[in-house]
Amino acid sequence: MSAEGAKRRGQILVGGALVAALILVGAYLAAGGASYTPEKTLDPCKHRPWSNPEGLGEIANQFTTSALDGAACKLGVSREALARALASPAARERFAKRYGIDDAKLARAIRAGLLRAIDDAQEAGALSPLIAGPLRATVERIPLEQAIELLKNARSALNDVQGLFGPASRLLEQFIP
Amino acid sequence: MGAEARRPRVAALALAVALVLADSSVVVLALPDIYRDLDTSVAGVTWVLVSFNLVMALAAVPAAMIARRVGPARAAAVGLAIFAGAGLACGVADQLSTLILARCVQALGGAAAVTAALELLPATVGSERRAAAVWASAGATGAALGPAIGGLLTELVSWQSIFLLQVPVALAAAVPILAVARDEAATGILTAERRRPGRPHLAANIALAMVSAAIAAALFLLVLLLIEGWRLSPIGAAAVVTVMPLAALAGSRLDHLVPSARARAAAGAILVSGGLAGLGLLPKATVLLTIPPQILVGVGLALVLSALTETALHGRSSQAIHGGWTISARHAGVVIGLLALTPIFTHDIAQQRKDAIDAGTAVILDSKVQPLLKISLAQKIEDRLEDEKGKVPTIGPAFEPLPDDSGERDEVVQLREELQDQLNRGATHAFSPSFLLAALLGLLALIPIGLARRVEL
Repeated sequence: MSAEGAKRRGQILVGGALVAALILVGAYLAAGGASYTPEKTLDPCKHRPWSNPEGLGEIANQFTTSALDGAACKLGVSREALARALASPAARERFAKRYGIDDAKLARAIRAGLLRAIDDAQEAGALSPLIAGPLRATVERIPLEQAIELLKNARSALNDVQGLFGPASRLLEQFIP
Repeated sequence: MGAEARRPRVAALALAVALVLADSSVVVLALPDIYRDLDTSVAGVTWVLVSFNLVMALAAVPAAMIARRVGPARAAAVGLAIFAGAGLACGVADQLSTLILARCVQALGGAAAVTAALELLPATVGSERRAAAVWASAGATGAALGPAIGGLLTELVSWQSIFLLQVPVALAAAVPILAVARDEAATGILTAERRRPGRPHLAANIALAMVSAAIAAALFLLVLLLIEGWRLSPIGAAAVVTVMPLAALAGSRLDHLVPSARARAAAGAILVSGGLAGLGLLPKATVLLTIPPQILVGVGLALVLSALTETALHGRSSQAIHGGWTISARHAGVVIGLLALTPIFTHDIAQQRKDAIDAGTAVILDSKVQPLLKISLAQKIEDRLEDEKGKVPTIGPAFEPLPDDSGERDEVVQLREELQDQLNRGATHAFSPSFLLAALLGLLALIPIGLARRVEL
């Protein structure tokens, strides 16, 4: 093979390699390779507007989310880490150790979260002011275990509160516009 | 000696080189099993890989000098015997320290066998250039095949079988070499010539080290991504990474078509870097998408390793010693690659794991399933995280048993898929910076390759 021919083949090989590498990188970038990452979680301190709170199940769902957001914001942790921590006593212990949070601080945070959820529910029109008032008063004095239970099982709690105060609130709403 | 008589000797020497150089990567897929069996740490188990490569890097040149002094055939045969004996010790080791020590001894034997093989090959194949080509391709094939063979053996038998199988293979390779050693002893001829070896080819060896660091990253990180990130079995991962040696085999054909070693080295480095960048920019956690980058890395490694080895050996008087320098450069590169990239990726995987779990929990919290079920799922996820400390968890069991209500079941199945997607995103993204850094290392090798322009073959 002539020197010129050998040089030409070398140039073709290097050029071919460059084109192949650029095509691959370009194709993967175009397909979203640079943004294939876990989705970012939202800041729990930012207000999350309620959407169509219709029916007790949906209200309870959004109530739990708001309460978790409020508590997580107070503690300076993510809402997701807090939700996993509240799942069991062992998980709560690990969480407390990891973030240096004692039960009193956790109780204060969860109460604050529940109060924020009541405010959000009221603002969204999902909770009447007459139900929200007594609920707020209850939450302010509630012990930690019951606060967690209320957060986990908001549907049942809201059902009870509505059962208790619902008829009275409907009656009062007829007189108070 | 006739061509027929030479063939088993060439095969034995190529087998010895491939066997030893495969050993630098053969345990990659077995590391998770070794980690569990020997109850050690991630940093500890990495030394099973690092120790072998470090000793190879340090011992290759002194081993080549000894081979010249005592006779290359004798050195190769003794080296293979040590390699086999240490392989046996690795196979029966029940402690990490014993395994690492045996790996160091294996590397000492391996260094002697590989460098001596290069001294023996020119007389066997007829020319130094042909010898260098055979030696370099055997090494590249061995290094590329290593992880696949190791993964297969780990899954089908055990990690110990990787080392135990090396014993008969090393001894089989030593038999034809023993005949040459007997001739050496009878004739008193130690080496063909006793010239001063001269200085090593600096640019080619530096490029070899840089490219080897990048290739080690490709093999090591890809295997970890498949097993630890995407939860493939070792045999599944072995099947996936087989693409690389197959592509390397195809790439080695280009050697004959393009005479310029510099062009082959440059093209190889570009392909390795392009492939690594592709692995760093995977747009989805799918095995299929790893194939095009693997093809580029495989073809690239065949081109660049053989071209740079040929360049480093070209016109050098003592093949064994300059071969020793190339072995030293390659294994030093592997060590640097592993030690530099492992902490980066370990840190990234811990962060991405946390982000992925948070993103997955967010999907569950924002879903329409009832709060009690949400908290119960969150608890199960937390339990999985505890069970598989530090790893990307297998999330399927957290969703078992599925709810009886069909509507709720569909919702939970969808949540499971979304959570798995977040985990796949996290695991894949955790490897990206390391792959991209390795790609950069491969590209930087173009500088010494450019400097080696005066040595055209």
